[in-house]
Amino acid sequence: MGYFLFDPLSVFFLSVIALVSLPSAVYSIGYLKGEASGRKTALAWLILILFLGAMGMVVTVNNTILFLVAWELMSLVSYFLVVFDTKHEKSVQAGTIYIVMTHIGTAFLIAAFLIMFKYAHSFDFSAIKNACASMPAGTKNTVFLLLLTGFGTKAGIVPLHIWLPYAHPQAPSHASSIMSGVMIKTAIYGIIRFVIFILGAHCLWWGIMVLVLAVISCLVGVIYALMEHDIKKLLAYHSVENIGIILLGVGLAMFFLSLNMPYLAVFSMIAGLYHLINHAIFKGLLFLCAGSVYKATGTRDIEKLGGLIKNMPYTAAYFLIGAMAISALPPFNGFVSEWLTLQAFFLGAFSVTGSAKVFLGVLGAMLALTGGLAAACFVKAFGITFLARPRSHYAVNALEVPFSMKAGMFFLAALTLAFGLGGAAVIKILSHVAAAATGIDITAMKFSVNNAVISPQAGYDIYLSVPLLALVLGALGIMGFAVYKLSGKGKTITYTTWDCGYYRLSPRNEYTATAFSKPFRIAFSFFLRPYRKTQKIRDSFYHIRSFKYETHTTKVFKKYIYDPALAMIFRSAKSMRRIQPGSIHLYLGYIFASVLLLIIFINRF
Amino acid sequence: MQTIILFACLVSTYLMVIAKRMPALIMGFRYQSFFLFLVTLLMAIAERRIDLYSIAGLLLALKVVLIPGLLYRIVARIKANENLGLFLNTQLSLLCALGFTCLSWVFSARLLAPGNVLVTTTLTIAFFMVLAGIFLMIFRMTALAQIIGLLVMENGMFLLASTVSGGMPFFVEIAIFFDVFVSVLIMGFFVYRINKLFTHVDVNKLSRLKG
Repeated sequence: MGYFLFDPLSVFFLSVIALVSLPSAVYSIGYLKGEASGRKTALAWLILILFLGAMGMVVTVNNTILFLVAWELMSLVSYFLVVFDTKHEKSVQAGTIYIVMTHIGTAFLIAAFLIMFKYAHSFDFSAIKNACASMPAGTKNTVFLLLLTGFGTKAGIVPLHIWLPYAHPQAPSHASSIMSGVMIKTAIYGIIRFVIFILGAHCLWWGIMVLVLAVISCLVGVIYALMEHDIKKLLAYHSVENIGIILLGVGLAMFFLSLNMPYLAVFSMIAGLYHLINHAIFKGLLFLCAGSVYKATGTRDIEKLGGLIKNMPYTAAYFLIGAMAISALPPFNGFVSEWLTLQAFFLGAFSVTGSAKVFLGVLGAMLALTGGLAAACFVKAFGITFLARPRSHYAVNALEVPFSMKAGMFFLAALTLAFGLGGAAVIKILSHVAAAATGIDITAMKFSVNNAVISPQAGYDIYLSVPLLALVLGALGIMGFAVYKLSGKGKTITYTTWDCGYYRLSPRNEYTATAFSKPFRIAFSFFLRPYRKTQKIRDSFYHIRSFKYETHTTKVFKKYIYDPALAMIFRSAKSMRRIQPGSIHLYLGYIFASVLLLIIFINRF
Repeated sequence: MQTIILFACLVSTYLMVIAKRMPALIMGFRYQSFFLFLVTLLMAIAERRIDLYSIAGLLLALKVVLIPGLLYRIVARIKANENLGLFLNTQLSLLCALGFTCLSWVFSARLLAPGNVLVTTTLTIAFFMVLAGIFLMIFRMTALAQIIGLLVMENGMFLLASTVSGGMPFFVEIAIFFDVFVSVLIMGFFVYRINKLFTHVDVNKLSRLKG
């Protein structure tokens, strides 16, 4: 095939790209209508096609140079997507943060590839794979760290996630759906391809490091998402969280590979890959729904929304499906993959000894906590956005979106359900991908039987059948409803809501997102460091005319890592300015001085 | 004979380094170019080469007559303060120049095989001229001094090429001559414009233009 490589891993990623991109492209027909002029729409399509092509190239080339070219093309094109909405100054700012971060990442990748080239004398993947066997351990560690930093920047691993909540929300919604759903997954592809497939995960600490970073990403992502009231930003933070969950699977695979436990390694890899494709689907769906809300109302601030379920029933239903999937509720797809990841942790904890047991157990608990917090977050996102009464004029006049947008969302919602119910079949396919990625022979292993997922380690057999679960849940629901109806409490009584005798209830009295997230703000105050500002304007001591209350959280990573780093760069740039005063004489003097130094230097030899 | 002329070259360069006013500097350049012409002529006679004759003729025409004449005209036209504006006073400049001569000597002695004193001397002087040219460009304020500094460097290069490699190919040499001439024309024009726009030709003050 020359420069391309179509092994199961590449084909898997290609199909993920296709699966999310096609509905997003259909969606964009309706989304772009009325947003931009005809020529700009054409430009959007051109960028989109370039973007998809570049992503396709990234996951299929078999040569590091071509990989870098495709990678850079993907970054640049996605930059244009971020700044596409030129009306907002924020887009340009977000684009700048994005392009700076992504290039820092690429720099690390180039360094890693050059070191690999030094040993392989070739840019070809297979030649590098062979050469890596003879690479000294120290160099391998360096290459691993470089690759992890480089790909981690793109994936949005904490603390390199800083660009993600700026860039993803700023792009047009169909593009955010592809960026968040697929583009950051190419970084996971990079990690699997280069660290596991080519370098070979031999060191235990590699796996542990990936696991620790992943679990931090999970928690930080979901906690920030809880605090966020911009619906697309909220989803972007959930991308950080879900990349963490995917990396938990991948890191666990590395962990088991280095411990020489092939069964568990393949199982964890399946879990990671399964969550990868699931996240692509439901995050794509959620971004499309968020885009529909934005298109219909013109705002992304959920505090200003509410009651949209009446005007936009389809969007609400799709959003609910996506929210249930991301919160890992059965029978949707997120449930299966998070269940698999948790199983991988528990099976691992049973199979290893000593402190590793505790480590895996704690990580499993953290994953469970993440799942719970994600569910809470989506209760907030769905409840505040779609339920109750409209909180502002934005939400009052919302209209359901056109057919092409609904079609895109419907397709992804259907996939969400399909990947949940058909988990056993998907796992069967994914086991081949995982085998190809880890280089393990799986002919003797079984991962699914007759629509049921089974966990592979003998002695701890665990079964899961999602269709059965769905059936049970459905039956329970119907039974509950029947009991409710039969007991006669279903009569509708129309009456004013009891309001403690206030008599002037308005949408302003509704529960707000800020209020909803307050318990979490207090619980995680050690990390979020919330602060508030209050301002009272009084008529007299007894009567307050107006009261202003603001609460903010401190962005720890920005404040303690990025701001000092930036300040240092600016300081050093200022000191560099001193040798750049703009005087021609001085510049000539520099040349002269260097010539003189060279002459004196030559005399030394 | 050649050694004497070369030393005359050296002395004229010293003269330029200690010059305080523009006409003196141009005069120094004229002397320097003239001695360079003599060196080339001697070489042409010794080697009986037609191309060297024509190069010597061009040297005479361009660097001794035309370019200094042009520079004189510019000085007269801009009617500016004739002072060069020294960053380094004459005594210190001369001291520096002596230091450079020393350095060039050490450098040339290292570069060439010992024994051939004449070639070593030529190389030393040629190299010193390059250094002096750049020195003039740095430590004199006016734009005109920078033009002349460049020309002095070019002279040094010419001498350098003729000592080290027996002269550059004929056409290259011709091309360089015309290059130099045209660049002097252009730079002269610029100096004139700068003077007209800013009423001075002090390059040091041009830094105010930057953002």
